[in-house]
Amino acid sequence: MEEPVINVRTARWGSYLIAFLITALMFAVALYASNYFTAARINDIRATQDDISTDILSLETQFDLLAQHSCSDIGENTILPSELVSLGNQLSYMEAQGANLSEITRLKRLYSLLEIKDYLLMQQIAAKCHLRPVFILYFYSNKGDCADCGNQGYVLTSLSQTYPQLRVYSFDYDLGVGALQTLISTDDVGDKLPALVINGRVYYGLKTTDDIQKILPQLKTLQKAATSTPVKSK
Amino acid sequence: MTADLWIVYAFLFTCLYFEVFLLAAFIERRLRGARAPEQAGGTLPKVAVVVPCFNEEKTIAGTLVSLLHLDYPADKLEIIVVDDGSTDKTFEIAQRFATDAITSGQGFSGEDCLSEASFRDGKSLPARPAVRVLHKDNGGKHTAMNLALENTSADLIGCLDADSVVEPEALLAMVPVFENGAVAAATPGIHVKEPGTMLQHMQHVEYRLSIFNRFMLSALGSAFITPGPFSLFRANAVRQLGGWRHGHATEDMEMALRVQDAGFLIANVPNAVVHTATPPKLRGLFRQRVRWTYGWLRNAVDYRHMFGNREFGNLGLVILPSAIVSIFAGIYFFARIVFFSARALIDWVGRIHATGIYPHISLDLFYFNTSALWFLIYMSIALIVALLCAGTYIGTEKRLPPKATPLFLLFYSFLVPLWLGVALFRALFRTGVRWR
Repeated sequence: MEEPVINVRTARWGSYLIAFLITALMFAVALYASNYFTAARINDIRATQDDISTDILSLETQFDLLAQHSCSDIGENTILPSELVSLGNQLSYMEAQGANLSEITRLKRLYSLLEIKDYLLMQQIAAKCHLRPVFILYFYSNKGDCADCGNQGYVLTSLSQTYPQLRVYSFDYDLGVGALQTLISTDDVGDKLPALVINGRVYYGLKTTDDIQKILPQLKTLQKAATSTPVKSK
Repeated sequence: MTADLWIVYAFLFTCLYFEVFLLAAFIERRLRGARAPEQAGGTLPKVAVVVPCFNEEKTIAGTLVSLLHLDYPADKLEIIVVDDGSTDKTFEIAQRFATDAITSGQGFSGEDCLSEASFRDGKSLPARPAVRVLHKDNGGKHTAMNLALENTSADLIGCLDADSVVEPEALLAMVPVFENGAVAAATPGIHVKEPGTMLQHMQHVEYRLSIFNRFMLSALGSAFITPGPFSLFRANAVRQLGGWRHGHATEDMEMALRVQDAGFLIANVPNAVVHTATPPKLRGLFRQRVRWTYGWLRNAVDYRHMFGNREFGNLGLVILPSAIVSIFAGIYFFARIVFFSARALIDWVGRIHATGIYPHISLDLFYFNTSALWFLIYMSIALIVALLCAGTYIGTEKRLPPKATPLFLLFYSFLVPLWLGVALFRALFRTGVRWR
């Protein structure tokens, strides 16, 4: 055990300074560690986006070469919807954390473009290969003016998990990407959010799992089917 | 960054700074090499140990037996039991220990005394110090201490709560620090007596932290509490200061602050071991801590001239301000946790109600919270564990903290703000608190 202690009460300015510097250093380490892990996550997202981008490019190339390939080759190489959903969730999480918002916004814009490209490409493939893909376009807002957007995102995430082949494309309505604005106007999506575009029709307000299953009865076939159900092979 | 986060970071910085300051001072002290105070010379001072008690029939015998076993010359030691108007058998039990009762053959014949005596491995009692039992109407602990002060000529006067027991070497370990004429009080190393319930085990951990804090505060000349279990005072200094006061039901804090205010020093002797009973249930613990915190806040107002005052060195510049800030920080952190938890719960319930889907917790490492705030919380917990290890080393020479440490870290931080909040409310409205 330690010996008894007695001391006078003199101010120890040197000790105050050392304690201050150590505490400040701890704060600096915490900030550095936090930034490090945020950067690592952003790199993860970027790497996933690069992968998806490459996949889309590959798919586009394959599509251009359709004459020389069978539809089954393309069907096997499409991007998994779960990758897009997972990426979307990761971006939402990072956005909610409020870390490096400018970089996250940049990644979100890229993500939206990838989604649109995938959506258009899948539509083209579906038309050429006589497939029946199941799409949901989901428009939300993060500006605090959409009370049901959180719940809608939750329903769609749950649906994606239940039906792995369901293709849900989520878009921040206010992102200001040219291609996204064009998609909004071509689908005639108003600003009453959340909004879902299913089979070319716009639905406003929160739609529960049951609501969506009623709107989209072919959902039930997805559990056993692949990304899309080939009706007739070329 | 929101105002809320600025406040959180400011509080965290203050709390971390306080922990770092104490730990750095401890490490610096060890690196420099501890210098023990001079040992007592040939003449030991006369000591009176006062046992103020009110309805302590269950524990008083054990307390007195431990005092009778103190390794100190019997002719230099006097035990004064002050029955503060007990309504149970406290007075009768104490009377059996009184020196005149012993000589008349009544002492130690009762079953209570025998069983307590056998508690000490059947060791026979050496020559006994004088035991006097005083009785008075109930007036509070400070009045009991003052009555004893009036009735003794001892050089040093100590206090031992009737729910505590001392180790035989405790007094002899404490006396040497009074060789320094500036020392007016000395505090021991206080341990939890026979922890039984989960709550007592958590307090056992907390007391290890207190051993460290008390040790370092004395090392920095900044002790501001002289706790009831076996604090020792220079009798003349106490007389000079005017005796004990009510001190908002925390006479031990008030006296310590008055001692510091008068320019005296307070020593700490961690190897003077005292075991004190702690509340086994939350209700008792809550009441005790509300009283302590209430007393601390009210005394802080009374002694506000010491805050930020360079004249009081570390005490005025760092220790007292940090102690006050930590109360507000604890309340703010707790309120914040409650607010965000309630909001998350409402969101969850609303979501389940709106969507019919039950949430699931993702185990994906991607979603592991790595914000700077959480890193600082992890660091703060690591620092507390380091302080606990230091406290355990100071108090027991062991290096690992008690096994209940995880329980303490997990639950105690949620309990503390409850009594902090109630005490703050009571202090603001000056409602007063009761001992029991």
